Amino acid sequence: MSPDTIIATDRLNLWYGDTRALVDVSMEIPDRKVTALIGPSGCGKSTLIRCFNRMNDILPGCRIEGKVMYHGENIYDNGSDPVSLRRRIGMVFQKPNPFPKSIYENVAYGPRVHGIRDRRTLDSIVEESLRRAALWDEVRDRLSRSALSLSGGQQQRLCIARTLAVEPEVILMDEPCSALDPIATAKVEGLIDELKKQYCVIIVTHNMQQAARVSDYTGFMYLGRLIEFGGTTQIFESPRDELTENYITGRFG
Amino acid sequence: MTLPLPRQAKQGRLIPARTGETLIRLILLSCAGIAIVTIFFILAFLIRDGYPVLSETGITSFLLGTEWNPTGYPVEKFGIVPLVAGTLCVTLGAMAIAVPLGIACAICVARLAPPAVRAVVKPAIELLAGIPSVVYGFFGLIVLTDWIRATFGVPSGESWLAGSIILGIMALPTIISVSEDALSCVPREFSEGSLALGATHWQTISRVIVPGALPGISAAVILGMGRAIGETMAVLMVTGNAAIVPSPLWNVLSPVRTLTGTLGIEMGEVATGSMHYHALFGVAVVLLVITLAVNLVATTIIGRLREQYAPGRPCGNAVPGSRRASLLSPEMRERAKIILLVAVLSLIGLPAAGIAGYAGCVFLFSLVALSWRRLSPRTTQKIAFFFISAATATVLLILAVILSDILVKGLPALSFEFLTEPPRDLGRSGGIFPAIVGTLYLVAGAIGFALPLGIGAAIYLSEYRAEGKLTKIVRTGTELLNGTPSIVFGLFGFAFLVLFLKFGVSLIAGQITLGLMILPTVIRTTEEALKGVPVSLREGSLALGATQWQTVSRVVIPPAVPGIVTGAILSIGRAAGETAPILFTAVVFSQRFLPDSPFSPVMALPYHLYILATNIPGAEANKYATAVVLLLLVILFYAIAIGIRTHYQKNTHW
Repeated sequence: MSPDTIIATDRLNLWYGDTRALVDVSMEIPDRKVTALIGPSGCGKSTLIRCFNRMNDILPGCRIEGKVMYHGENIYDNGSDPVSLRRRIGMVFQKPNPFPKSIYENVAYGPRVHGIRDRRTLDSIVEESLRRAALWDEVRDRLSRSALSLSGGQQQRLCIARTLAVEPEVILMDEPCSALDPIATAKVEGLIDELKKQYCVIIVTHNMQQAARVSDYTGFMYLGRLIEFGGTTQIFESPRDELTENYITGRFG
Repeated sequence: MTLPLPRQAKQGRLIPARTGETLIRLILLSCAGIAIVTIFFILAFLIRDGYPVLSETGITSFLLGTEWNPTGYPVEKFGIVPLVAGTLCVTLGAMAIAVPLGIACAICVARLAPPAVRAVVKPAIELLAGIPSVVYGFFGLIVLTDWIRATFGVPSGESWLAGSIILGIMALPTIISVSEDALSCVPREFSEGSLALGATHWQTISRVIVPGALPGISAAVILGMGRAIGETMAVLMVTGNAAIVPSPLWNVLSPVRTLTGTLGIEMGEVATGSMHYHALFGVAVVLLVITLAVNLVATTIIGRLREQYAPGRPCGNAVPGSRRASLLSPEMRERAKIILLVAVLSLIGLPAAGIAGYAGCVFLFSLVALSWRRLSPRTTQKIAFFFISAATATVLLILAVILSDILVKGLPALSFEFLTEPPRDLGRSGGIFPAIVGTLYLVAGAIGFALPLGIGAAIYLSEYRAEGKLTKIVRTGTELLNGTPSIVFGLFGFAFLVLFLKFGVSLIAGQITLGLMILPTVIRTTEEALKGVPVSLREGSLALGATQWQTVSRVVIPPAVPGIVTGAILSIGRAAGETAPILFTAVVFSQRFLPDSPFSPVMALPYHLYILATNIPGAEANKYATAVVLLLLVILFYAIAIGIRTHYQKNTHW
């Protein structure tokens, strides 16, 4: 394992009931880089990143074998606690899912849940997080308005701010732009570029151009297997596997 | 090849709807109007008969008079303050028991319980809803009041406390099922969003899911309250019925008398046309107004909720939680939450531990609450989950105690003779054959009256009308009719059918009264069943040139039949167990023979049980046996309905 690896999986397998959704996935994800997972629908990309913060735990009938090492510790070990794990590995979902609370309360939710009560501290966390999510200027004068009054792109950036407020190390993004228009998408992509200075970002995307634009490393998945993993330039310019080549040149998928 | 269609149909002009279609439309429209007309009729008749007491004694001395003594000499007193106080006391007490238990149980079922536990709890709650009120009253009278008498060392256990406990249990199913719906409706994205931020399950539930479901939960509480206010038989049997304001006001062991109880007791003995008679109708008007107001509030909230969660609609700013967000500062909210928590948690302790344990509980919970903020999220989660499971277990335990008491004592007294012979010696011996037959007659008539009307109304609402003013009015009318206390139906039946139409106390008067009572259930369940049929099927049929009625009758109704039948059977179960609507319209206590015409009175199981339990000493075995028969009959209907529903839910995939 190279020294800057933050998450590593070792022969990870996952079943939904009788369906095997992940097959022997082994990979190493570097810190402070953007890693993209691409592949056709149903190939297991989302399932894989949901393993990294144990969100699959809450789905009934889900069974996992293999290891996911985070800082050299298997997060599926018996003593490992998903709640404290999720504080360190944040997640942004496909559809923006702000809580039906005010903008302020959405961002303050995480810190509050983790015991911060001082109003001034909360204020500064909220402002800082919204700034880093490039949303502050648009919402600074309406923090007490409902988060649901924002546009889709703003909602998604709010969800990113909400994630940042917990100060995680890793940010998982599950097709964060698939519900957004091109302008909002460009904003979120610009944001991802900023974020990788401080965070490890793992992004699942349907959109190969997006993967090529934002990521440093790319993994191509097909039918639950990780077919190829490497530097983004290498994957897109000289893929080693025929399946990868077919997919990125648009011959299927 | 040409299709064998009449040429005219292909070449003729585009003719508008045929007369048959128009006729059907009119018939359905009049069915839909019946709910509204009934509500108006009920109000009109109650006010007509209640008006004299207002003009005679004056509206202030009626509403604000502190003495209710209709047979007083030389002056009769008709002040309803003690009755309103009784209703308020009993209802508030019931809510104090049912709200914490019910919400905790709903959280458990909706968000925590594994499927196996849910599979037990959900039918159990439906069963709890199915037990007839007279059976609750019977259990309360025999077991609960006795327990209160022994525990608190008072001469009689018939009290405010007993009424509140029984009513609390009866309000539970409403509160649980409506809150559970609301909790399950909170989208999964919210809980995933919260969990992904590292919140515990309990933090997610208490800070995201419950606030999101709050409008639905408050509607559930209000609906439960409406049910408690309107309940007659169970309350009347356990509250002691002294028309006094408890003194001191918090004396839960004092007997009280409710508005409904007054109607139930005095209506049967009053001389028609006397001032006392008019005063009772005045009481009914007050009761109706209170329940209408309560239900209107609940329906409005639920209606808003539906709009809010309607698919394809942006949620907008109308999310209640978000507006309230800025009202209280977080510190104040923390404090308010602690106070609320102490109140809620200590109230869970009330039914379990009784007053003695109560103080201890309050102390303990205050300790927990004070250190609450210092505890780790994981510890608070453990404590919260413990109380939630305890509350759920309590609900199941209550059901088990009631069922086992009645079954254990009643089943041995059952025999073939009991089921096939008329009663002897005022019901102390002999059987209940005429009562069984009477109940079946009543139920058959009620469903025969309500089913065609209800189905017609539902078809009109769902198939012939876009959502608009008219549907809104009809739907509101139906909801209001649904929330009308059953005793008010009884009074209306008495004033309109028995006296005004001169049917006398008769089978047919009882059938129509019961039919009106179950009409809303039939309409609603049918409408839901019709709505479950996908729009694409209708479009497919209409696109082939079928008329509206052809589409409805051949494409929409057939797949909806199981749903309609389920609703009908649930209504039958409800009608079979009701006492209050037939109390003055249809029943007599003892009759050796079966009714020979629709205009002769009948015996009925619930009424028989009521009289045996309250008026006939020494009928121990037969009391329990009657309760068992009634309980089993009603449960049988419910079980069939639930069975049909689950069967078709499993086998229908659109």
